[in-house]
Amino acid sequence: MIPARRVKLFSNWFARYMRFRMRSYFKRLVVMPFKPKEGHSVLLLCNHFSWWDGLWGNYLAYWHLDRKLYIMMQEDHLRKRMLLNLFGGFSIDRTSREMIKSLQYAANLLNDNENLVVVFPQGQLISNHTTEIIVEKGIERLIKNIKGPCQIVYSCALIDYFESLKPSVFFHLYDCGVAGEVSFDELTERINSFHQQALKAQVDVEH
Amino acid sequence: MIYPKKNNIIRLGFHLYVRFIVARNFNAINFNTIEIDQDKSILLIANHSGFWDGFLLYWLRCKLLKKKFHIMLLEETSKRIPALKYGGAFSIQKKSRDVIDSLNYAARLLKDQGNMVLIFPQGKLYSNYVTDIAFEKGVMNIMKQAAGDFQLIFSATFIENFVHQKPTAYMYLRSAGQNNFDTISDLQQAYQQHYNNARQQQTQITV
Repeated sequence: MIPARRVKLFSNWFARYMRFRMRSYFKRLVVMPFKPKEGHSVLLLCNHFSWWDGLWGNYLAYWHLDRKLYIMMQEDHLRKRMLLNLFGGFSIDRTSREMIKSLQYAANLLNDNENLVVVFPQGQLISNHTTEIIVEKGIERLIKNIKGPCQIVYSCALIDYFESLKPSVFFHLYDCGVAGEVSFDELTERINSFHQQALKAQVDVEH
Repeated sequence: MIYPKKNNIIRLGFHLYVRFIVARNFNAINFNTIEIDQDKSILLIANHSGFWDGFLLYWLRCKLLKKKFHIMLLEETSKRIPALKYGGAFSIQKKSRDVIDSLNYAARLLKDQGNMVLIFPQGKLYSNYVTDIAFEKGVMNIMKQAAGDFQLIFSATFIENFVHQKPTAYMYLRSAGQNNFDTISDLQQAYQQHYNNARQQQTQITV
């Protein structure tokens, strides 16, 4: 497992640079109003369907949720882009026993209420049109190991084009409860119902 | 209403421009091949979720349909971008007496087997995540007037990124064999069925 070697200064530069890149690539980045709980770290569960997801996680953490970003990445992906290691990327290898170490590492990070960990519970890229989010079992172990107060947030990102040639991305954020107070089955159920809500809300979104 | 204008030089410029922006902005464009009846014109019915739809379907014309392109646009859009009329756009103004002219014109175009007419019967832009497609009834008027002269094709377009920074467009096509739909709800139902199948296939994609 590769732990994160987060450097604050570089992470700040990266967040600014990526905001610039995103603002030029996307027509709009719309974050639905959401305030994280004070004094809690944030476990940000995102739907995974595109190349941009991790970068959006960074954008949300830095500019909206006001926490230090750490992000769980597949080991082979991280090895190809070791620069991201400096911005909070740590690895998980789902095929080896080291996976447990990665989950424990993520849980430890979440004991500090200044941190935010981005995890893609689907574990692979799945179409954005899917109506069901399959949450991998590892999330259960991760949540069990968190000792400090930690809020679980589901972020559903959806892309639409509407009148522009540039895409617009809409982030629907939902509070799934506090770690330790919500069981794994309940969490899966909530994520799925929030995902359905987000798809419905997206249809009526202003454009 | 605004009629298409013929100018081979501008048309060539338009053709090259569309090919260029589609190639530049998309990683790939996937569509399924269907059989095209050379003795008939084509009425292409598509979902409308963004400004790209027209361009992507123009690209489809170049690759598969190979007929003279015509597209029905809202009067506001035609006025905002006057150059589109050189690319085969004609306008329709909802809730005006001109509607009949536009529909008659579309039906006349379909009588010539070298033409194709693209129509978005939804009448305005809807999110790409919409599940129920609602049609406005004008398209029925065209189909009745030109009955037997055209091949009816349904298209459903979805745009997704997956591992690439640039998106990939997925176009699902189906030739609606018998085109003697009696009412708009029959047509809508047939399209809805195609759209549901397309969405189902789209959500099966994992990377």
